[in-house]
Amino acid sequence: MEEDEFFGEETFQHYCAEFIKHSQKIGDGWEWRTSKDCSDGYMCKTQFQIKNRTAVSHRGTSARVQTCLPMEEALEPPLDDFEVTETTTATEVIKYEYHVLYSCSYQVPVLYFRASFLDGSPLALKDIWEGVHECYKTRLLHGPWDTITQQEHPILGQPFFVLHPCKTNEFMTPVLKNSQKFNRNVNYITSWLSMVGPAVGLNLPLSYARAAFQDEGNVDRQDSFIEPKSLEEL
Amino acid sequence: MTDDKDVLRDVWFGRIPTCFTLYQDEITEREAEPYYLLLPRVSYLTLVTDKVKKHFEKVMRQEDISEILFEYEGTPLKWHYPIGLLFDLLASSSALPWNITVHFKSFPEKDLLHCPSKDVIEAHFMSCVKEADALKHKSQVINEMQKKDHKQLWMGLQNDRFDQFWAINQKLMEYPAEENGFRYIPFRIYQTTTEWPFIRQLFRPVATDGQLHTLGDLLKEVCPSAVAPEDGEKKNQVMIHGIEPVLETALQWLREHLSHPDNFLHIRIIPQPAD
Repeated sequence: MEEDEFFGEETFQHYCAEFIKHSQKIGDGWEWRTSKDCSDGYMCKTQFQIKNRTAVSHRGTSARVQTCLPMEEALEPPLDDFEVTETTTATEVIKYEYHVLYSCSYQVPVLYFRASFLDGSPLALKDIWEGVHECYKTRLLHGPWDTITQQEHPILGQPFFVLHPCKTNEFMTPVLKNSQKFNRNVNYITSWLSMVGPAVGLNLPLSYARAAFQDEGNVDRQDSFIEPKSLEEL
Repeated sequence: MTDDKDVLRDVWFGRIPTCFTLYQDEITEREAEPYYLLLPRVSYLTLVTDKVKKHFEKVMRQEDISEILFEYEGTPLKWHYPIGLLFDLLASSSALPWNITVHFKSFPEKDLLHCPSKDVIEAHFMSCVKEADALKHKSQVINEMQKKDHKQLWMGLQNDRFDQFWAINQKLMEYPAEENGFRYIPFRIYQTTTEWPFIRQLFRPVATDGQLHTLGDLLKEVCPSAVAPEDGEKKNQVMIHGIEPVLETALQWLREHLSHPDNFLHIRIIPQPAD
């Protein structure tokens, strides 16, 4: 019975609360939402990205960086992009929404997301695929339900894209085993989101990892951050 | 799971007589006749309406045709819900045939999932089957199956082949005797009166003292407003596959006999209709 509650809903909410605390400190925009009359809640964040239509890109801050190290992109705050693109005529602003929900069936967190233009018209999956880094694509295309599919948001009832959660336990177990072995504080949500987020354009500033270790005084350890090469386990 | 096999067949072969009419504002080259079809309760709209699509496309120009969508009394129909569930949720007290309106434009992006191909329906169906097994067997049974077994489940549903489907599905319905039941019951409760699409929670088929949980126990725990007080009048109608099961029915039995092919118990609750 205890094993079943290994990552129960309360634990999920606890880690999210810790995560959001740090987000508020650094202004990263995550917040908690609950639905009326429902004890279920989820974490969400909205961010705006610029999509360049012309071949010429300015300063490189708004162009897609073709590298497998998402951390570099994460260090640039989105507001700068707005200033850059004033000069470009054929650009579009895309609104991305990311929601982190708990799946009681799989007992893991699940990432839901959707993207739309400012006029509300949604992006198709193929347009979102264009934003996925090459190094994630082959792995994500493994099976018909091991990848990104469109599903109904369990609380809002609207169409969202979802990274299927059935493999989450597989790649999170080594992370958690290691943390127990070395007696380190690991925020499950931080570790998990740092692995799955970049595949869909969501990056986490490094400070999240440091925040998990504040209590132990290990401010420089970044082990809860998973390097992209270990994403082969994904 | 043996004596009640007739129930499995009755569930599988349940049909809803439906009349499809083209939306009046669609541009046609000549008048479109309505199309009548018996819809399988356990299947999905976009899986069984190829003939409907072809019928209406005949009277339209190619350029006026985009993704098909179905609507009932102003509500876009979610193709990813089993047909029987949609009917019970929206039209169970209306006279038959079920009148559905067909649209070929103005797809409501904010309300409906896209269904560009049969692969999408298969992915959705298998995703439900997988999730149900995660609840029942920690995904052990589904993961031990070969790809061809997964395919057989899907083909059985797609081609309306009861025996082909159940040859594989019975493995998903088994449980080790010592556990006295599945780990958790895969279910979803749908109500028209709530903001969220459905209720899903962890619930065991057997209590800690070994007693079998009933449908009434589930509702009391998960959806207490749906259950009438001891001496009160019945305010809500609880329905599965178009019938109202007795609340004292064991969940385990319901699970084995009244699940949909996706392995979930889809339970719909609406305010008691006036007779």
